[in-house]
Amino acid sequence: MNMPLKEKKAFQMLDDQTIELSLPNILGYERIAMGCIDSFATNVGFRKERIEDLKTAVAEACINAMQHGNKDQPGERVIVNMRFASGSFNISVIDKGQGIPVPLPNDPNIERIVDDLDPPTGFGLFLIKKLVDQVEFNEKTISGHGVRMVFNLS
Amino acid sequence: MHKPNEINIQRHGSIVSMTINGDITSFSEPYLNQAYEDVDSQYAPEKILLILEKDAYINSGGIAVLIQILARTRKKNQLIGITGLNSHFKKIFNMVGITKLATLYDTLDDALATMETLD
Repeated sequence: MNMPLKEKKAFQMLDDQTIELSLPNILGYERIAMGCIDSFATNVGFRKERIEDLKTAVAEACINAMQHGNKDQPGERVIVNMRFASGSFNISVIDKGQGIPVPLPNDPNIERIVDDLDPPTGFGLFLIKKLVDQVEFNEKTISGHGVRMVFNLS
Repeated sequence: MHKPNEINIQRHGSIVSMTINGDITSFSEPYLNQAYEDVDSQYAPEKILLILEKDAYINSGGIAVLIQILARTRKKNQLIGITGLNSHFKKIFNMVGITKLATLYDTLDDALATMETLD
């Protein structure tokens, strides 16, 4: 059977090790993704402490997608694809934007922020980089641009 | 999905505490700013203790709001303590550098006892 590319890709991705969410582009809905990854990671044996890292990184990637990728447009969606295989979570958070400008912004410097030299921004990307085992920004998918994060069980 | 923060202000000797109920996100900005302005104008305290809910959700937007308040306290040479955080958010606050601006305490009693002795 000839299947359109988009359906083929979706079929390949959505196996019995994968969960995919489509979130409204509204701040606060990242908590749905946090609840889902909490249950998923608990089921596959992640430690409580590591699950909190997962939840924070997923939340920040969703917030970034809503605000910067989808530019706060209420009609857009944020796709969160979570796959656990071979002891690792692969999580992609995808929006309709053009990706994060390269080079990535510098890490926030709290002293410069306090002295009004820098704006109080950049904490989301900073936390993602700190909390995940691997991260790839600007992953291109059939649904848009995304952040792909890897969390290892061990 | 964001509920307004309810913030209770209380004086304990030389310390004024702000008990912040609810999640801390970018939506918290007007509530926290107003509470800080109330504390500062009513008490002009030298020491402020922020008491957060242990299970509160705190995201990058909330961290930015807290840092802006901590920046204001630093300009007034106010001493800041924070208590109520669970171990995950203690780690996060360390990572982003909030601990350069405020001291984290494990318990309310420890915070009040220690801050009372500080100049």
